[in-house]
Amino acid sequence: MKRRELFTGPGQPSASTCCKPGVSRMATLIPNALFRTQDNKEVRFYDDIIKGKQVMVMMMYANCENFCPLATKRMVDLHHQALAHRMGKDLFLVNVSLKPEQDDPATLKSYAEMHRALLPGWTFLSGDRYDVDTLRYRFFSHDHIGIDEDVDQHAGLMKIINDPVGRWFHADVFASTRTVLEHIQWSDPPKPLAERLKENRKLQERIERDRAVYGYRKIA
Amino acid sequence: MSELTTNRNERDAETQEAGDAQPLTVNRRTLIKTGVIAGAAAVITSKKTTVFAQGSGNPPTPAPPILCDPRPANSPATTPFVDNLPIPLPSIPTLLNPFPTRSANTNAGEAARDDHQAWNTFPPLVFYHSIAAPSLHQFHQDLSPTYLWTFNGRYPAQTFLGIYGVPALVRFRNNLPIDHPVPAIPELTIHMHNGHTPSESDGFAGDFFGTGLWKDNHYPNVYAGVDQFGGIGDPREAMRSFWYHDHRAEFTAPNNYLGLNGQYILYNQKDPGHEFATPGSLRLPCYYGVTDIPLHLHAILFCPTANGRNEAYITGAVPGQVDKWIINGKIQPKFTVRRRKYRFRVLNTGPAKEWNISLIGSDGLQKPMTVVATDGNFTEQPFDISNRTLLIPVASRFDVIIDFSQFAAGTSVYLREAQAQFVGVATPDPAPGLPIGNVAMRFDVVNRESWFPADTPPIPADLIDMPDPIVPDDSFTWRFTRDGDPLRFRINGQVFDHNRIDHAVLKGSSEEWVLANDVIAGNWTHPVHIHFEEGRIMSRTHTNRDASGNIVSVNNIPLLPEELGRRDVYRLPGQDRLVIQLRFRDFLGRYLIHCHNMNHEDDFMMVRWDIVGSVEELTRKRREIDERRMLAGLPAQYGNGAKKGRLV
Repeated sequence: MKRRELFTGPGQPSASTCCKPGVSRMATLIPNALFRTQDNKEVRFYDDIIKGKQVMVMMMYANCENFCPLATKRMVDLHHQALAHRMGKDLFLVNVSLKPEQDDPATLKSYAEMHRALLPGWTFLSGDRYDVDTLRYRFFSHDHIGIDEDVDQHAGLMKIINDPVGRWFHADVFASTRTVLEHIQWSDPPKPLAERLKENRKLQERIERDRAVYGYRKIA
Repeated sequence: MSELTTNRNERDAETQEAGDAQPLTVNRRTLIKTGVIAGAAAVITSKKTTVFAQGSGNPPTPAPPILCDPRPANSPATTPFVDNLPIPLPSIPTLLNPFPTRSANTNAGEAARDDHQAWNTFPPLVFYHSIAAPSLHQFHQDLSPTYLWTFNGRYPAQTFLGIYGVPALVRFRNNLPIDHPVPAIPELTIHMHNGHTPSESDGFAGDFFGTGLWKDNHYPNVYAGVDQFGGIGDPREAMRSFWYHDHRAEFTAPNNYLGLNGQYILYNQKDPGHEFATPGSLRLPCYYGVTDIPLHLHAILFCPTANGRNEAYITGAVPGQVDKWIINGKIQPKFTVRRRKYRFRVLNTGPAKEWNISLIGSDGLQKPMTVVATDGNFTEQPFDISNRTLLIPVASRFDVIIDFSQFAAGTSVYLREAQAQFVGVATPDPAPGLPIGNVAMRFDVVNRESWFPADTPPIPADLIDMPDPIVPDDSFTWRFTRDGDPLRFRINGQVFDHNRIDHAVLKGSSEEWVLANDVIAGNWTHPVHIHFEEGRIMSRTHTNRDASGNIVSVNNIPLLPEELGRRDVYRLPGQDRLVIQLRFRDFLGRYLIHCHNMNHEDDFMMVRWDIVGSVEELTRKRREIDERRMLAGLPAQYGNGAKKGRLV
């Protein structure tokens, strides 16, 4: 499938939105470094992974024993619960290894197999230490040495990047399913005003229904 | 109207050519002929009358910015003291169409919300229209314009001036571009910090609305304690200097960095907005824009871009390190003051920089300035800052009175910021021992002209009576940490989830809250902000630890004078523990507690707490909270009803 079709195909709202599909917005923000996938394929990070797509970016490494497997499992669960119909079509997930010296493509592949994470739309990347650090700084920098120098500080955080519309979110993968899905939805291409007004009216109905049932607004 | 439109189009072209897209300039005759005075703020200049449209159209949209990359080593050089200090214009009331309604007018494009709680008790009498849209602002004569997101095309945004007992309503309309390259988000939820505002108008972080929608925020402008005192509440609860800003979850820092904030001032008999001797008036300097000057502190890193602009550097969701100190939208401005008392409402708009200000005379010695209000609340007694700096955490406001009659006419006084900024133009030290980089702005003292208001009497020794001491019904601890697995900013072990409640309190009750940052991993400073209610600091303790993290001692730290008054931002350095008391009155709904370092806030250091109206709801919500915590492997907050037997 051509990239353009991802955004103009049936069911994709972007055909009628403000934004031209496939126009890349974040080339200046995101490094175009060379990485290798779990299948030992060379890719350019911006051109091949991000450009024109909606991508969730996570950092991990294969022999990490606490939060990386937890985060991976969480995403596998989410994939099966709610994202399978989108993954690989208009939504992608990329895991970048924080310890590229240890994680060659084969290691990443076995990590992915172990976690049943060889799923459509999932990519595991390993590259040069310099490029990984650049990415890490770009996505998770706090301008604070205590956070930025420590590679472990970003695990479990996910950046959701929607390149064609220039949206850039982060989400906590350990939040409730509903919240993570809402974060992903926030990064979707903006819908036309008429559709957003319709959703707004629906939300108002939900608020009023909550009020009638519970006496207070239950949803956020 | 058609004539105005034609005129505007011509003018648009003209202003765009001039590269300055903000003011809509018409001559006085056109203005009167078309009769738009009622809906517009007019500023009389020497030859022209400049009209800033409010609610009737938008300033021309500037071309989107080009993001700079890589990060510049520093901002461009700027000559100090060339621009005059701008004063934010007062917001002018207008009429709103469609007329505001109690329930959300979703058919006309209003964002979904609960019904206005105080609509029938305090129906709004004054209406404002504030349109968020991109515009260009020039931060210095040496810089080219900068792309910002502003309210009504102005940076700093207009100040709302209100009176207690006159409820107001502000319609915030989102005209931000959907398609834009900056890593901010065109979605708004406007928080009026720290008004006694019902929840649906309080700017809850998850209640944002997108481009093309709008939302009416209803500000009853009442004191806390309406339920007990009747009328408009307990006048001892009065606050004066507020500010409003975007509170969009995850994007508060970039949206504020780009300019989506402004000030909101309320007057009452004690502080009536004039300086005449009226009953009850403290007679502090109080002519807005004349002797009562807002100072919005901001900091930006600028970079030149290919389209000939100087854009504010921003990558990712977190603004980068900053090196230009900005006051009211100008770098190192100068301000002519008469030899009399002035009041400055100092506001740190963030996103992350803390300010340490002091006043330095031309002889290089520190001069006194008198603090009369902390976070908008008058202190019981005014106090001087004469041998230390005044620390202003993000979002804090300090009303500071400077008496310029102590200086000779023709001399200059400098506002010093402890951290040096980048100037880039070789400039001799303006005063002995005061490098130019540390000067945030300059005051030029001149003699008072006959037409200028005469000086106010000395500042009274006692400003206010504090509200009655609070007798807490209950206590609760909030732990602000950066720990857990994975490492994350957490409050009570959890990161922000706008769908989750973390504490529920009963309307009318009061609680003693402990704000603790004293775990081993918590060595960060957090300016903690609690929505809705002012608190009083009871004590501050500091935990000393040895190298291996064992507690050596716990010291009681004497409170600074600025901590004795009522606050809504509590600075919480690592290993500190604050005890505060608050009560929750009058309104129900969802409120927030968060670290007001907006980068931490966007990194989910925020919790939602609810004020509920019945014991049944309280019981249900507290049980839900405990169940959810136990499922997440965290200790229960309320126990099995044993500790909180009265309520749960």
